[in-house]
Amino acid sequence: MSNTLNPEQGDALKRAWLNLPQDAQQAMINVVFVPELINFLGFDSTERVPEYSTGKGGDKVDYALRHNREEDIFIQTKNNPQILLELKGRNINLQENSPKYKSTVKQLKGYLLARNCRSVQWGIITNSNQIQLFRKHGKVIYPATPCLEINQDNICATLKVIKDKIDQTKKGLTVAIYNNKGGVGKTTTVANLAAALAIKGKKVLIVDFDANQRDLTNLLKAQVGQQTLYDCLASKNQINHSQVIYPHRIKNKQGDKELRFDIIPVDPQLSNMGEDNLRQNFSFRRLGQVLDYFKSNYDYILIDSPPNWRFFSVSAVYAADVVLIPTKHNNLFSLENAAVAIKDYITKTQETKQDGSPIALPIFFNGEKITDAQRRTVHQAIDNLISRYKKEYAFDLSPYFYPHWTRGKRDKSIFEIPNHAVIADAAFGHIPSVYKNKIARDYYMNLAKEYFLQ
Amino acid sequence: MSNLSDIGNLMHLYLDYIEPGAGTNASDFLISSTAQILNQLGGRNWTPVIVKEVGEDQYQVIGNSFIYAVAEEAGLEKVWCIIADETPETDELVKVLTGEKIPKINLSLATRDEIKSALEYLIQNQGNVLKRVKLPVAVNRIDEAPNRQYWKSLEPITKLKCGITKGKKLNVLKEVFYLTPKPQPKLVNHPPKELSKLTVKELKAMAKEKGLSGYSKKKKSELVELLNGA
Repeated sequence: MSNTLNPEQGDALKRAWLNLPQDAQQAMINVVFVPELINFLGFDSTERVPEYSTGKGGDKVDYALRHNREEDIFIQTKNNPQILLELKGRNINLQENSPKYKSTVKQLKGYLLARNCRSVQWGIITNSNQIQLFRKHGKVIYPATPCLEINQDNICATLKVIKDKIDQTKKGLTVAIYNNKGGVGKTTTVANLAAALAIKGKKVLIVDFDANQRDLTNLLKAQVGQQTLYDCLASKNQINHSQVIYPHRIKNKQGDKELRFDIIPVDPQLSNMGEDNLRQNFSFRRLGQVLDYFKSNYDYILIDSPPNWRFFSVSAVYAADVVLIPTKHNNLFSLENAAVAIKDYITKTQETKQDGSPIALPIFFNGEKITDAQRRTVHQAIDNLISRYKKEYAFDLSPYFYPHWTRGKRDKSIFEIPNHAVIADAAFGHIPSVYKNKIARDYYMNLAKEYFLQ
Repeated sequence: MSNLSDIGNLMHLYLDYIEPGAGTNASDFLISSTAQILNQLGGRNWTPVIVKEVGEDQYQVIGNSFIYAVAEEAGLEKVWCIIADETPETDELVKVLTGEKIPKINLSLATRDEIKSALEYLIQNQGNVLKRVKLPVAVNRIDEAPNRQYWKSLEPITKLKCGITKGKKLNVLKEVFYLTPKPQPKLVNHPPKELSKLTVKELKAMAKEKGLSGYSKKKKSELVELLNGA
């Protein structure tokens, strides 16, 4: 345990936990354990609001927390909460993937996305035996820890992990754009999504981690800086940010505003290394470590990755909080590969990484016209895929393919970026088409808002 | 609920005690074939008609008027009904719940996701009218339209160049959107940037409101200057 922690608070927390009866219900936990839990996280009694109205219907979350700022006392103003806490009794089993766990997570997500909770960065679910922390970044919600078991020996250490993450909230969301199948428009997506987010005033860094193709670097004519991506991976020392990045700048029409996002281009030295050589020199964890330096400076870090499951893509997915998977509706392999990535690669990465991330975002169809007949065909194919995975692997793909599907609502809609000549032609201009064409801008703005911006 | 009220009850009422209200637009085929099936399969309308009490032994249909029409066609003497209260709110709610009325959303405050689902619904159901409208373009432009919260009508949508033009297309939108415009903020301390976003017409109206003179022949840039100076 770190020495920055007030040991008295740790003792109080542990004592409260030990006092809980074996079968403590929610009300009991609320009185005995939660006050100490919130104290431990560093929020005093004016920094917590019980039964906080989320703004969606009559929904109320058990607690909202936020540190006070000078005149703005949270318990009085009740605005801009930072953390939501959803409490359950010990009779509710929160073991990962149990039905109650799933419904509780769903409940928390509903609260986190509600109107009064836009400012929230963290969500916690606990029944005092288990606890899990989620990060909310814009519209994206992903686990920041696995669902952790609490016992009398680890209680302080476990909650310290959660406290530390909250205390050091990083600004950025790392997104890997990945599909095991090539030609689905990953690079186009990265460049245009970055441009769309930049228009919305977000600070964006994109990383070309497809060293063999170097498409992104070439597309945007990015120049390798004094320090290269290779240097970053190889060096043990601190990295000088400004020497690695290449800023992509463009003035708006009125000339009064500059739109900018940053690129880490890929350098020839990295391109020329073989897979074996790469593996011998760099751990697949290395990219994640490097990008951690940048995570406090950017709102979004987008990683372009190659279509395979070797060093570059493994590193990209490992470094990511979430994985965005473009597919083509008329390319069945791109759908099947998406399913493999979700069930195998991403799940395995989660097991290695042990912090609950990365998670897959729902797939989308990229850049092709869809006729009604094709739509029926692709839905049929996806239905088959979902039922096959359910039968053979007991794995539920439906949230990743039909995100709007609920038990009462047979909604099979999948987000689409329609095709547009300008988007396909952008390769010649070295400027993302979002900056040049209004329709392209609308299309990618929809992508940004559908997945990321709230 | 008091014992002296039928509200909330399921009751087997004589058809001729019930006044049909607005009636249904369903096709004769649907009504007569459903009536046949109702007769074949036991003659009990398991899905009730929703009625309100308008007098002693007098009721009026407020929801599921299709069922009422079917019962009539099937020649039922009595029909199962749920008694609702007679407030206009309940009337509205019942009609929306039974799918007889399209619910509207408030475009002044709607989020992008709400706008998207509303337009998707319209394109699905009024595909002919909105055939050439590109959904992603329309959604994004309406969502990002500056001053949306001040719109007094849906007409500004036609200026967004998203394929929705005045007339049929715009009228269809009225089926799902309504507005509760915020009053335009007092323009006195408008930052210059926002002034230049307004149209010449609006600028002139503003100049008039402020009691300025000599604005009528001015160009846009001059108007902005004039208003900033004032």
